Amino acid sequence: MIVKDLNILKNFNVLYIEDDVQLLTHTKDVLEDFVNNIFAVETTKEALNILSNKKIDVIISDILLQDDNGIDFLNYLKKEKDIQIPTILTTAHTDTKYLLDAIKLKVENYIVKPINIKELLNSLHDVLLPFTQQKEIQKNINIIKMIGAVTDSKQVDVIKYLINNLNNDNLINTSYSEIMSEISISKPTLIKLFKELSEKNILVKTAHKTYKFDENALDNI
Amino acid sequence: MKSTNIIDFIDNITFKYKTYILIFIITGGMLSIIILSQISTYAIKNDYERLFEKRTKPLILLESLKDVYEINVLDTIYDIKNNNISFENGKEVLELAKNLSNNYWNQYKQNRNSEFENNFFLQIIKKLFIEKNYEYKNEVLLESLMTNIDKKMEHINNYINYFDLNSYNEVKYETNSIKIYITSLINYDLKVTIDEKRDTNRLFNYIFLFSILSIVFVFIFSILLSIIIINNFKKLHKLLELKVERKTKELMELNDNLEKRIEIEVKNSRKKDLIMFQQAKLASMGEMLNNIAHQWRQPLGSISMIIQSFQTKMEFGKLTPEFVDTKVKDALLLADNMSTTLDDFKNFFTPDNIKSKFSLKNCIEHSFELSKYVLEKYNIHHTIEMKKDIVIDGFYNGLSHVLLNLINNSKDALMDKDCCLVKEIRIVVIQARKKVILHFMDNGGGISDKILPKIFEPYYTTKYKSAGTGIGLYMSKQIIEKHMNGSIKCKNIKNPRPNCDNCKSTLFILEIPFQ
Repeated sequence: MIVKDLNILKNFNVLYIEDDVQLLTHTKDVLEDFVNNIFAVETTKEALNILSNKKIDVIISDILLQDDNGIDFLNYLKKEKDIQIPTILTTAHTDTKYLLDAIKLKVENYIVKPINIKELLNSLHDVLLPFTQQKEIQKNINIIKMIGAVTDSKQVDVIKYLINNLNNDNLINTSYSEIMSEISISKPTLIKLFKELSEKNILVKTAHKTYKFDENALDNI
Repeated sequence: MKSTNIIDFIDNITFKYKTYILIFIITGGMLSIIILSQISTYAIKNDYERLFEKRTKPLILLESLKDVYEINVLDTIYDIKNNNISFENGKEVLELAKNLSNNYWNQYKQNRNSEFENNFFLQIIKKLFIEKNYEYKNEVLLESLMTNIDKKMEHINNYINYFDLNSYNEVKYETNSIKIYITSLINYDLKVTIDEKRDTNRLFNYIFLFSILSIVFVFIFSILLSIIIINNFKKLHKLLELKVERKTKELMELNDNLEKRIEIEVKNSRKKDLIMFQQAKLASMGEMLNNIAHQWRQPLGSISMIIQSFQTKMEFGKLTPEFVDTKVKDALLLADNMSTTLDDFKNFFTPDNIKSKFSLKNCIEHSFELSKYVLEKYNIHHTIEMKKDIVIDGFYNGLSHVLLNLINNSKDALMDKDCCLVKEIRIVVIQARKKVILHFMDNGGGISDKILPKIFEPYYTTKYKSAGTGIGLYMSKQIIEKHMNGSIKCKNIKNPRPNCDNCKSTLFILEIPFQ
């Protein structure tokens, strides 16, 4: 099993709905070490209140609540309120009826009580990972853009071109003239760039007009 | 041999036909007797008529003829001879006598010629019964007599026509001879009459014999058949007596067997009841286990969460003594609760065959406590209305069992109802003089009238795919009626609450004596 980086949870706010007070407090006590904020409530009414005031990234809800039903509540949120927040359901029922409803609702996960905390954390991680990755990608794009702004932006363009045109075997068929027709760069600069890359084993010429990109070489710089 | 055969044959005919035969024989016999007697009387009457018409009249005529010759002829001749009367007068008298005699004779002949018409019917009968044998009938003799008389008459008439005193002797002689002939004819006629009389006698005898025979025949057959029919009756009677005896025996046996069978059946039904009790126990045990499972799930979840929290806190290095203290306290509290729950259910399953005094309120509340989880799950409220607590001397667990059954049924009725109405179970306890009346109501829509009479029958269930055993209410009835000497009834009522107009309610009425 891949060890999941649970640190990513630190950036998120969790709304936890459970009608059993004991379980609510104990679970909250465990979860609050992992997440940014946990809002633990007993009823859907309180949950709605929290949702309207706070930024919530993920909802953990029991199916059977006092005077209410978690699935109905989620339906209400998605259909009526148009609030699309990823959800994890917990229940003591291994009932297929609930399972089917949950699938129809497109909930992200479904955990059977008694709650295994690791399972819960893993499923939180799985739910929140795309958001983290989205943030990471955005960050990297920003980094590249900033580097391009302060260095020779032509070289950055060439590297972008090379990465974008790699095939599945990390090979690229290209020539100086091809690159020069795409990007307005002087030939000496281009040759110099290629030389540097091949010295560091990042881009090695394997045949005529064919270069191989070695990803591992990047770590050894 | 033959007669016995006939009797056997008659014996074997069905009763109906025997009676028919009897009626036929009696009527036939009667008819034949009537006909024969009619024939005999007719024949006798006929005979008399004939004797008079055919025989007596001619005899009178012949006698008159004789007299004419005796008195008018002979005496007149004699008178003339002695000169007692004048010749002229005598001649006139003789003339008259001649006319008279002619007249009589002609009449007689006419009579003879016009043979008296014999009745056709009678003739047939006579032909059937007797062959005519006329001992005296002699046509030749008759013929000669007639011709002789004719001749003599002619002679006498001649003499009278040319009468003179010389012919006196001849007339006298002729007249005497004619008298002799007439006498012979009379005799002959008489004899023939005797013949006919004998015929009639014979016919009469035959008829008499036949009627006697038919009477005897009818008599014998009637008696025979009557005896046979009576025998038939006797046989029938005997058969019926036998049948009745057999049936009575059977009935007696059946009665004897019935007692035994009833005993066996009672034993069997006791066994069945025991088995049912067992099943009911198992069924409610299942329910209870379900309840325990539900009631344990939550604290278990919490406890497992507490244990895991130690682990995670350790990883983060946040495991402080204070944290451990609070968590352990919580965990112990939870475990304690679980243990209490277990005790509750355990008490429920210990059989209590000993009567004990207990608070009714406690019992009701305890029953609701045991099914708390299910009621909460389906969001069913319950209210208990009683003015003051009542102490009952009886079986605590039995009553609790009954209440749990009722609660469970209400839950089944209410669980599928839409959540817009208030689902509720109401218990109203009223204290009467010697008993407690407990009303148990739910607004689960009532019980359909088709089912209502059957709900207390064993193995009768309406629950889908036999989720029910059909024993719950039967057992409840047994417990209330047999063990507690009370009664349990059920009916549909209108919902007494104002908030729901059209949802029916089911009402169970339990009456439990204090003792």
